[in-house]
Amino acid sequence: MEQKKYWQSFGELNNSEAHQKNAKDEFKEELPFENFDAQGLTDAKTPRRDFLKYVGFSTAAAAIAASCEIPVKKAIPFINRPADVIPGVSDYYATTYISGGDAIPVIAKVRDGRPIKIEGNELSTWTKGGTTSQVQASVLDLYDTARLRYPIANGKEVSTFDAFDKMVADALNGLGGAPVVLLTSTVNSPSSKQLIGEFLAKYPGSRHVQYDGISYSGLLLANEATHGKRAIPSFQFDAAKVIVSLGADFLGTWLNPVEFQRGYTKGRKINQANPTMSKHYQFESMLSMTGANADERFTHRPSETGSVAAALLAAVSGQGVTGVNGEKLKKGIDKAAKDLLAHKGQALVVCGSNDVNIQIIVSAINEAIGANGTTINWAVPLQNKAAIDADMVKLTDDLNAGSVGALIIYDANPAYDYYDAEKFKAGLKKVRVSISFNEKLDETTELCKYVLPANNYLESWGDAEHKAGYVSLLQPTIAPLFKTRQWQDTLLKWTGNATVYADYLKNFWIAKLGSNDNYLKALQDGVIESTVTVMGSPVFNGAVVSAAVAAATSGKKGGKVELVLYQKASIADGRHANNPWLQEMPDPITRATWDNYVMMAPAMGKELFGIDLTNNTQSDQYEAFPDKPVVKIKVGNKGEIELPVLLIPGMQPETIAIAVGYGRSEHIGRAAVGVGKNVYQLASFNGNTVINYADVTVEKSETKYKIATTQTHSSYEGRHEVVKELTLTELIKNPTRILNEREEELKPWGGLENYAKDGTIYPVYDRPGIKWGMSIDMNSCYGCGACVVACTAENNVSVVGKPEVLRAHDMHWLRIDRYFTGDINDPESIQTVFQPMLCQHCDNAPCENVCPVAATNHSSEGLNQMTYNRCIGTRYCANNCPYKVRRFNWADYTGADSFKGNQDEMNDVVMMMNDDLTRMVLNPDVTVRSRGVIEKCSFCVQRLQEGKLKAKKEGRPLEDSDARTACQQACSADAIVFGNVNNSKSAIAKERTENKNRLFYALEQIHVLPNVNYLAKVRNTDKLSGHEEGGEAPKELKEPAEHETTK
Amino acid sequence: MASLRYESQVRQPLVVGEKTYHQVTEDIVRPIEAKPSKLWKIGFTVSVMFLLFGVYSVYREVVYGIGEWNLNKTIGWGWDITNFVWWVGIGHAGTLISAILLLFRQGWRTGVNRAAEAMTIFAVMCAGQFPIFHMGRVWMAFFVLPYPNSRGPLWVNFSSPLLWDVFAISTYFTVSLLFWYSGLLPDLATVRDRAKEKWRKRMYGVLAFGWSGSTKHWQRHEALSLVLAGLSTPLVLSVHTIVSFDFATSVIPGWHTTIFPPYFVAGAIFSGFAMVQTLLIITRKVLDLEDYITMEHIEVMNKVIVLTGSIVGIAYITELFISWYGQNPYEAAAFRNRWDLSTPYGWAYWLMMSCNVIAPQFFWFRKLRRNLLFTFFMSIIVNVGMWFERFVIIVTSIYRDYVPSSWSTYYAPTVWEVGFYMGTFGLFFTCFFLFSKFFPVIAIAEIKHILKKNGESFKENMDEEEKDTVEHFAHEHAHAH
Repeated sequence: MEQKKYWQSFGELNNSEAHQKNAKDEFKEELPFENFDAQGLTDAKTPRRDFLKYVGFSTAAAAIAASCEIPVKKAIPFINRPADVIPGVSDYYATTYISGGDAIPVIAKVRDGRPIKIEGNELSTWTKGGTTSQVQASVLDLYDTARLRYPIANGKEVSTFDAFDKMVADALNGLGGAPVVLLTSTVNSPSSKQLIGEFLAKYPGSRHVQYDGISYSGLLLANEATHGKRAIPSFQFDAAKVIVSLGADFLGTWLNPVEFQRGYTKGRKINQANPTMSKHYQFESMLSMTGANADERFTHRPSETGSVAAALLAAVSGQGVTGVNGEKLKKGIDKAAKDLLAHKGQALVVCGSNDVNIQIIVSAINEAIGANGTTINWAVPLQNKAAIDADMVKLTDDLNAGSVGALIIYDANPAYDYYDAEKFKAGLKKVRVSISFNEKLDETTELCKYVLPANNYLESWGDAEHKAGYVSLLQPTIAPLFKTRQWQDTLLKWTGNATVYADYLKNFWIAKLGSNDNYLKALQDGVIESTVTVMGSPVFNGAVVSAAVAAATSGKKGGKVELVLYQKASIADGRHANNPWLQEMPDPITRATWDNYVMMAPAMGKELFGIDLTNNTQSDQYEAFPDKPVVKIKVGNKGEIELPVLLIPGMQPETIAIAVGYGRSEHIGRAAVGVGKNVYQLASFNGNTVINYADVTVEKSETKYKIATTQTHSSYEGRHEVVKELTLTELIKNPTRILNEREEELKPWGGLENYAKDGTIYPVYDRPGIKWGMSIDMNSCYGCGACVVACTAENNVSVVGKPEVLRAHDMHWLRIDRYFTGDINDPESIQTVFQPMLCQHCDNAPCENVCPVAATNHSSEGLNQMTYNRCIGTRYCANNCPYKVRRFNWADYTGADSFKGNQDEMNDVVMMMNDDLTRMVLNPDVTVRSRGVIEKCSFCVQRLQEGKLKAKKEGRPLEDSDARTACQQACSADAIVFGNVNNSKSAIAKERTENKNRLFYALEQIHVLPNVNYLAKVRNTDKLSGHEEGGEAPKELKEPAEHETTK
Repeated sequence: MASLRYESQVRQPLVVGEKTYHQVTEDIVRPIEAKPSKLWKIGFTVSVMFLLFGVYSVYREVVYGIGEWNLNKTIGWGWDITNFVWWVGIGHAGTLISAILLLFRQGWRTGVNRAAEAMTIFAVMCAGQFPIFHMGRVWMAFFVLPYPNSRGPLWVNFSSPLLWDVFAISTYFTVSLLFWYSGLLPDLATVRDRAKEKWRKRMYGVLAFGWSGSTKHWQRHEALSLVLAGLSTPLVLSVHTIVSFDFATSVIPGWHTTIFPPYFVAGAIFSGFAMVQTLLIITRKVLDLEDYITMEHIEVMNKVIVLTGSIVGIAYITELFISWYGQNPYEAAAFRNRWDLSTPYGWAYWLMMSCNVIAPQFFWFRKLRRNLLFTFFMSIIVNVGMWFERFVIIVTSIYRDYVPSSWSTYYAPTVWEVGFYMGTFGLFFTCFFLFSKFFPVIAIAEIKHILKKNGESFKENMDEEEKDTVEHFAHEHAHAH
């Protein structure tokens, strides 16, 4: 009988040679103990000695393995691996960060099914990949332990959505025709707007009210009056040569900082061959982050904003400056006006006020200087803020009158951030049916009868049109973590529409884009952008201006002290208060974390507390101890609030400033509990809009309060080796000034040319191959802190909580040093420098040679690297680091330590970050550091390795885009350039050669040879504060007794 | 009484009280054979309590982390390394007394060398605790030892001054221990030979290594002493030099100073002698050894104190001068942060200055040098001052260094940081109490060498001519011409 042949492969069928070899070697592995027979024992591959070694080793290894009890942590592999998920390989999905009306196109990095990092979407033409600190931190909100996990009705868990829907349907049906009001923050999602329309149509008499905690209705209403359009145009800072900001913090928090930073940067980048720069004037009451970056800054009281605006209008209309107090301010307005007029069509005025009349005046100024159609683009209005305060006031009245049947709230929190929250709360109680869709049990949601948990944006479908014509799409990057449902899905259900929102959205966009393929392409890109290039410019209606001027200047004079409310660059409106990354991000100006406080001019501090910051001993005392004085403040008949005080030069002497966004309820989460006080209620309604300043009485309290600041000393003490700055005029007049200064500094060691060699007695080595380097342009760093949070997220940097920050145990790998120069009692003279400071990866690193165990060493690519598991924690390296960028794990912040119970004394925030849920945000490419080791910036070495591998796999040289650091990527202003210095075509090499005249290395004279360079700060101003006339750098250090500013 | 014609005009006897050899043995061995006194018991208990508190403080630090201390991102070293340098410095007097003074044949050393050497060993033991337990991961401390390991080619970093410390301190400890113990052998044998209980005989028998007192033993003993003295002598200079390298080789203004090695060595001897004074003034009183540790000893040590204190003072002033003369603005700023009383740590600098430079100048007065109470007070003052010297160098240099943004908040220790320091006092005194109970605190054999130099006991047997007084002789002599 013929043997039937089964074969598994063609190789087997043909019995090829290769197959035979394969079959033979299938399970074969070379064992070392072979070929004893052929030769003598000692000639064998494994002679007797080796054998004994093996025996010895295996016995020892077995003994060690048996004696050390290592806790077993199980990682369970997929039984059925989901398609597209490759363990250890990240996927990137385009989506959109949504926070109120703000919609920033982003890319979510998803690793093993978990979003772990947010980057800006570079396909978006208006953000160009820029982000803010909130965007960077938003991924942590997804894993917030305080998120709502199931629907709640009347305080009880509802087991299914169906049951919940039924309860709500019953309740809504029982309204008997009473109107339904949908209260949301600004909605600019095209599909959602259509959906809301459909929903409201079901309930006659119902309406949609938009409400933003931070209101821009003044601007909206002013534009309606002057341009006939209730809209906010695009402000094109990139086209502006002269920028005047009347209290608008446009680089930090005002309206649309990502786009504004991008545009502003264009005027801040300096071409060495032909140095020009935009000129930025800031008129404000408090020292804002934007004000800190201004070339010329003038202060006035908050109540004088109208007069200042009117004076500026008069000045640009050729009528001279009138109606303002103070010579400096007058001169400033005059100067700004002349500059504006000299740059007609290249100038822009923005104003942060929410007063309609003031915004009308600003609108008139812009018209006068030809901004409309040049720097102000009416064709693509900004749609991220659309709420009108009066609508909310009316709603509150309606609620109290009992004329609202049901209130459905999504992402609006008037119980917290409304100026008259008590009235709103009282009204809310009178509503028969109150429903909230929210991720959190926030102050408003906790008062609602029906609570339906909403999805995080990373779990959602959606679209948003932040700017008209610039749509970005959302797609889920992870399945909902909890029993939550997207609010659009809920509305669809309640409308009686059986489609799910994902399909609704798809159909919506297929209808617009034409095909499913186009939709999928758009989803992949994340953005749909029209190609409108026309600058719209509606007709300006000047008739309203004179009335506005009269109204704005006739207001009563401010009291003895005025209060202005502001947003911090980190916490902003308080929406992300439970985000420890943001809470621990130091404020750009005050460098304080974890609190809000009263910002006060040193002069007022001296008057109130007798703290004289010009006195050495007193300023030392003030800065060396975190205990700060406390004041009781009272606005009108509103309750008294006690807050600590930080003395900040640059504040208008009769003005105090307090940040909103603090004092959240305990349900917001452990990181928000007890942090700061809520001051939203100190705002008031002027009949049109909510006004963020007020007269205030300030009274000294006898108590003290500890504020956790990460930087205590504010002067750079004239240390020009650390910070170099010059004026634009100086740069033009003497382009090599910085070079000469460096030459002077290095003269004792051979000058610039021979410094690397002559500055040491050791031989100098070539550094071939890749050499990583970074360049930081201090002229385009505005201090916003996006890079700090990006670094925290990318590198699993620990959050330590307020008690630890107080002890200066903060762990940030990257910090932004802020220095003031000028006379602390003259706010106009205050100039601010921001200097991002991170490991400088010195080629002659002082940290490396002092480590007894060589745990920190130099890579062949110029990286100063940390070997965590070799580190024994002597902290010698940290002591010997001139830049003080090394951070020590003082306690078991991460739970990575093997000691049991050593987190007993850890504060709650650290434990929150250690929650299994929160830990899902950790980047698996970066080791979580254990207690007792030093850590510091690694130049994101995991990204560099990935980039190198990518280039290698593709068989090409490394390009700049292969390896980018997290800080570099996060920066909207492109202040950070990074790459391979040895590649002359790389951006970093170009940055260094093209900016020779501004380039310097921090503390170059100590011959540590950093791989990070800075480009000197250039101010488009007449004079540098704290410098000798003519701007020559002082040769000697200023002695502490002559501090240029507060310390 | 008028001095005799043949009596030395300068030197006072080293041992007073007309001791015989037997009496010497009796006096010194008495505390070992007697029941511990009440004072000893109280002292010992207190020391052990301090030690236990220290152990608990260290336990907390090891379990919870260095965050139990108030060090921070700017101030990486504070009390820990201050205490380390302080304790190491204290040890130096013992080695100086036992080694250098032996080589220079200074007879007076025999009265104090045993206790001083013991002090050295205990001080180095205390010092060693700090660099070990200041590590963030103390369980990995063995990484600092260069031994063949299975971690690939991973080796210690020989360019790190901390590693030099490891070698310096361990060498110092080993040599000091050997020196001390070899000196103890004849005395232990004495205690063994006098012992009546069996356990005591056995214990001291083992400890005495079979010492029989044969000439051969003595010959070898003497030779060994000289060799060890020769080995120890450079250590007196090198150990603190290397400790000073921890700072001198760094880039931090205020640390980066070439003057440090001699300055540290002088300071070490200064503080060491002060500690010897503190200990011996108590010991001679409690153990009734005033005849052996005499006013002469105290005075001679006070002279060393005024000398080294002045050297230290010159070093301080030189540093200040150079900070101005050197025209390095960063160094100038670092020193301004010391001498300027209005800065946060200005007080520490001036406390150091007054304790270390001004206070010892009182010892130019013989009366004060020979005043027990004053000497005791000064010995404490000097060690307070020397502690602050290290604190000033370490903390005030790094708390405000190059980059002003990182200037630190005020650093004050936590209770556990202080507890650790207290604990080393506990360890030191526990050891010292045990030592004084179980070992002869004065080198019996050695002090017998110098006993003969005391002429008092021969006075009774003098003939007429020998009884002639100086005055009388001088008078006669004058008349003869």
